[in-house]
Amino acid sequence: MADPIKLLIVDDNEDILSTFYEFFNSMGYEVKTAVDGFAALKLLREKSSFFDCLITDLVMPNISGVGLISIVKKEYTHLKIIAMTGYGDQPGALASEAEADVVLFKPIDLFKIENTVSELLNSKDDNE
Amino acid sequence: MTTPLIGVSKSILKIKELIHHVANTCLNVLITGETGVGKEVVAQSLYSESARSSKNFVKINCAALPETLLESELYGYEKGAFTGAHRKRPGKFQTADKGVLFLDEIGDMPISLQSKMLHVLQSGEFSPLGSDTEFKTDVWVIAATNHNLEESIRNKTFREDLFYRLNIIKIEIPPLRERKEDIPPLIEYYYRTYKSEYPESGGTKPDAHTLEILCNYPWPGNVRQLQNCIKKQIVLRSWSKIIDELPKEHPMIPAEIQTETNTNSNQIQINPEFANDRTGIISQFVDLSTSSEKLFEDISLKKIKKLASDRVEKEVITFVLEKVGWNRSRASKILKISYKTLLYKMTEFKVHPPI
Repeated sequence: MADPIKLLIVDDNEDILSTFYEFFNSMGYEVKTAVDGFAALKLLREKSSFFDCLITDLVMPNISGVGLISIVKKEYTHLKIIAMTGYGDQPGALASEAEADVVLFKPIDLFKIENTVSELLNSKDDNE
Repeated sequence: MTTPLIGVSKSILKIKELIHHVANTCLNVLITGETGVGKEVVAQSLYSESARSSKNFVKINCAALPETLLESELYGYEKGAFTGAHRKRPGKFQTADKGVLFLDEIGDMPISLQSKMLHVLQSGEFSPLGSDTEFKTDVWVIAATNHNLEESIRNKTFREDLFYRLNIIKIEIPPLRERKEDIPPLIEYYYRTYKSEYPESGGTKPDAHTLEILCNYPWPGNVRQLQNCIKKQIVLRSWSKIIDELPKEHPMIPAEIQTETNTNSNQIQINPEFANDRTGIISQFVDLSTSSEKLFEDISLKKIKKLASDRVEKEVITFVLEKVGWNRSRASKILKISYKTLLYKMTEFKVHPPI
């Protein structure tokens, strides 16, 4: 693939965010980050077709991950969505209900997420 | 007429922007903030910016009604559902269909009704009391509370699953004392509103000095309290009266303001966390409301020690004298001082037997 895959990673924990950023960057992805669903939504509204995949935490201020997923599902249908949660079953169930492609429970192995991302995007290529 | 969301602070501007971005998503919203900060105003703004603004905005206060009444208000009832149900009555979920249902004080909703609410939010279906039919409803639910729901979840007074379902969009409105820059535009707005409502009144806008006092007051009742003050001023026509009447003793008001509302810029700043205890004690012996220069002149440990010990001595002497029926000789023995010293101290502290 000529173009690097473009990820939007959203988490209100800045440590997690920078770890993800470093990791995916080193794996050859192009990464943008946002500290909550609202910041992410603003990035998406600016360049809607830019991203390939959204990786988002669920419990966040302003717009929660569940809210972000619902909006993305409606407005940016081409995006693949991975939800991550560390708050037990409730938010995870809501994320599935909002039709996130994959819901992962924290703590999550970075390589596992990377695997999930490439699987999701490959299946997208297969479908097209 | 609905009140617009007024403010120039960073937090209010951010809330306005957030409203603009989510008004057409119809995702559940939870608005939190102290009483009087304007939770309903935010709900109204969401509604009027949305495509649902031509439909109903239906409000229900979950704290104001007893449990059974709240249930029948929300879901309605069929004729004969209970004693007194002489005819069928639609609930708020029905009246709000295609519009907005504003659930105020959701944190006070009885836990038994929370599960039914959860069911409606999950399925979009409900059945009125006494009815077997499930009705489909399309309402945008906006809920508000001044409770910390995370705490209520720990105390088992609020369902965790309901919390997560409501908390899709969270709008937190900070108290007015944390966004003082919003006070002047709020005053301007309410002044104009009431002036046009009572054009004959002689109310005036606050002058610069009064405005400074108003901006530095902590407003425990937030925007609603400020609004009431402005309305009152239109009638009373005196800002000094209004300021005199502002409650000075409130757990949320630091002691520095409790002792003196008239804040000077060169007044000493006290860490509010410790202010209540410490300044409370010190202010009994020194006037803390003066400028720091004058205050530092007034403070002398020797002087304060004398004042403090005099005060305690006076109380102890009176206490013992009362116990022994004002028998001075007995009291002096108990206090372990000479009879003469006791008489001297009684004169000094003006301790007199009751007549």
